[in-house]
Amino acid sequence: MRADGLPLTPSMKAWGLTRSYGSGDTKTYALRNVSLEIYPGQIALLMGPSGSGKSTLLAVLSGLLHPDAGTVLTLDKDLWAMNERQREAFRLEHFGFIFQGYNLFPALTAREQLEMILKWGTGCSARDATARTSDVLTMLGMSKKAHLRPMQLSGGEKQRVAIGRALIKQPNFVFADEPTAALDWKHGQHVIELLRAAAHDQGSTILVVAHDARIIPFVDRVLHLEDGILYEGAERPMELYGDPTSPSPGYIAQ
Amino acid sequence: MSYALSTLWFERQRYLPAVLAVAFSCLLIALQCGLLLGLFSITSIPIDESSADIWVAHPDVPSVDLGIPIPEAWQSYLALPEIAHTEPYIEGFAYWKKPTGGTELVLIIGARLGPDSIGAIRQLTPELRMLLSETSSAVIDEGEFTRLGIEKVGDTAEILGKRVRIVGTVSGLRSLAGPYLFCSLDTARKFLNPPPGQCTFILGKCHNKEDAPKVVERLKAHPRKLYPFTTQDFSFHSQMHWLTKTKAGIALGLAAALGLLVGAVVTSQTLYSATVASLKEYAVLRALGIPRWRMAMMVVSQAFWVGIAGIAFAIPTIFGIAFVGAEVGAKIMLPYWLLIFATSITLVMAMLSGLFALRSLRMVEPVTLLR
Repeated sequence: MRADGLPLTPSMKAWGLTRSYGSGDTKTYALRNVSLEIYPGQIALLMGPSGSGKSTLLAVLSGLLHPDAGTVLTLDKDLWAMNERQREAFRLEHFGFIFQGYNLFPALTAREQLEMILKWGTGCSARDATARTSDVLTMLGMSKKAHLRPMQLSGGEKQRVAIGRALIKQPNFVFADEPTAALDWKHGQHVIELLRAAAHDQGSTILVVAHDARIIPFVDRVLHLEDGILYEGAERPMELYGDPTSPSPGYIAQ
Repeated sequence: MSYALSTLWFERQRYLPAVLAVAFSCLLIALQCGLLLGLFSITSIPIDESSADIWVAHPDVPSVDLGIPIPEAWQSYLALPEIAHTEPYIEGFAYWKKPTGGTELVLIIGARLGPDSIGAIRQLTPELRMLLSETSSAVIDEGEFTRLGIEKVGDTAEILGKRVRIVGTVSGLRSLAGPYLFCSLDTARKFLNPPPGQCTFILGKCHNKEDAPKVVERLKAHPRKLYPFTTQDFSFHSQMHWLTKTKAGIALGLAAALGLLVGAVVTSQTLYSATVASLKEYAVLRALGIPRWRMAMMVVSQAFWVGIAGIAFAIPTIFGIAFVGAEVGAKIMLPYWLLIFATSITLVMAMLSGLFALRSLRMVEPVTLLR
């Protein structure tokens, strides 16, 4: 462990990330030479006003959007030097995603939504898929609702299924985009606690994009993005969100 | 239950148009073919209504109604242990001069009339056969009076300047071309004038009906180059001749192609829009690294189940319509091979529609989920 409390080896390192949209007069920069390191066993919160480039950064770090320039080194592999198929295989092995909408198949039960990932993704046997799904549903407190379809579940329950879908592969990384946005605080807090547990108990690297300042006490790090420029921790978040209890490792990402 | 089947059942209202389109295609193909088979089965009535097991014809005979004379003496070639009985059969077209003026082409069918006759149609009762034993008498279908320009049993007309008298009627044996005139061998000879010692077909009856295919094979190997058929094969041969000669097969093919096209377009569009409606769910799977072919398999299996559901709808409906058709006099024949053909081709169509709907998966882009 370093003096600042961070583990020594980051699970993901990115530097020089630039991404723009449009061209000519209409060209706008979503990311301007962004660099950061994130660590296993930690949950990091990426905040910033609308249009600040948070989702773009998440997409670039998670291998979904090609940056104009820059490098993402994850588990010692250059994510953007891989071809599409290799990146897809890498995502399958290491990445989990939680998106703002629940995006669950309306026809499938909570159990099927999770099992599908194991059967289609990892090719594990039906028996193993059932056992692992049961474990995850129990962890999520959803074992009694495993047979229900999305329309029979509340918003919080749907988001728990979506989290289960992200965690079922036991990924090294989980990228969550506004996972609490559609939930009341009680359910939102539960969701963040689940993600925190995934980081602390399973050693996953978790990056959460959110607006909600109430999440800050539950995370290990806060990153702030504004106009495509990344700031670490205390200054901007405290200034913006006014929470003196916010943990701030004091590491400036750029 | 597979994910594809679960989805199909849960969102059945969405998939119903595709299921109905497949059912429609299957229905159209089966009924079109069945109706045509029913229509052309009329051409083989003389074969189907006889009691013969084996028909021996001239090598150039395309259909039962287009017979070519062969020597009656060929009966001796059929002297095999399996064959119980043989007899000649004479038929051919002749012009019927209507008493009301004008002529009509008729098909004269002459067979032995005895109780053990194998050429005479089953509807000829002993009474009718007795009446037919008088030369120049004939029996027609009860629906042919108008076509023949006569009014009732007992009326007369002329063929080749010789008087012919209608002595009775049968039912359900109307013909496609010229009306059938059922009569004795002598009457047929009188009106058709075949060369002496010649007939049109030689019929055989086996001791055991099941021996017929085996006997036919033996007769085919005969050095005299006989042209033998089992009753079923000759019936099929005659129907196929008319099906191809009249080009009705082309009309049938076009109608079936149209049915398939409608089915394919609706099925493909339904699967396409169903996939588009689930783009976000598929995008999550793509983000998680699930290979695209898994999703393609999902769409294709949905297409397969749509096909199966459509066929399940179609089969009872086909039989229902065939039953109603029979009640109102439209003969729809549905042999098992036709049903296998119709269901196979519609299932293939549904699967191809699924493949065509796969283009929707190109729109799956996980980055769109990050707003």
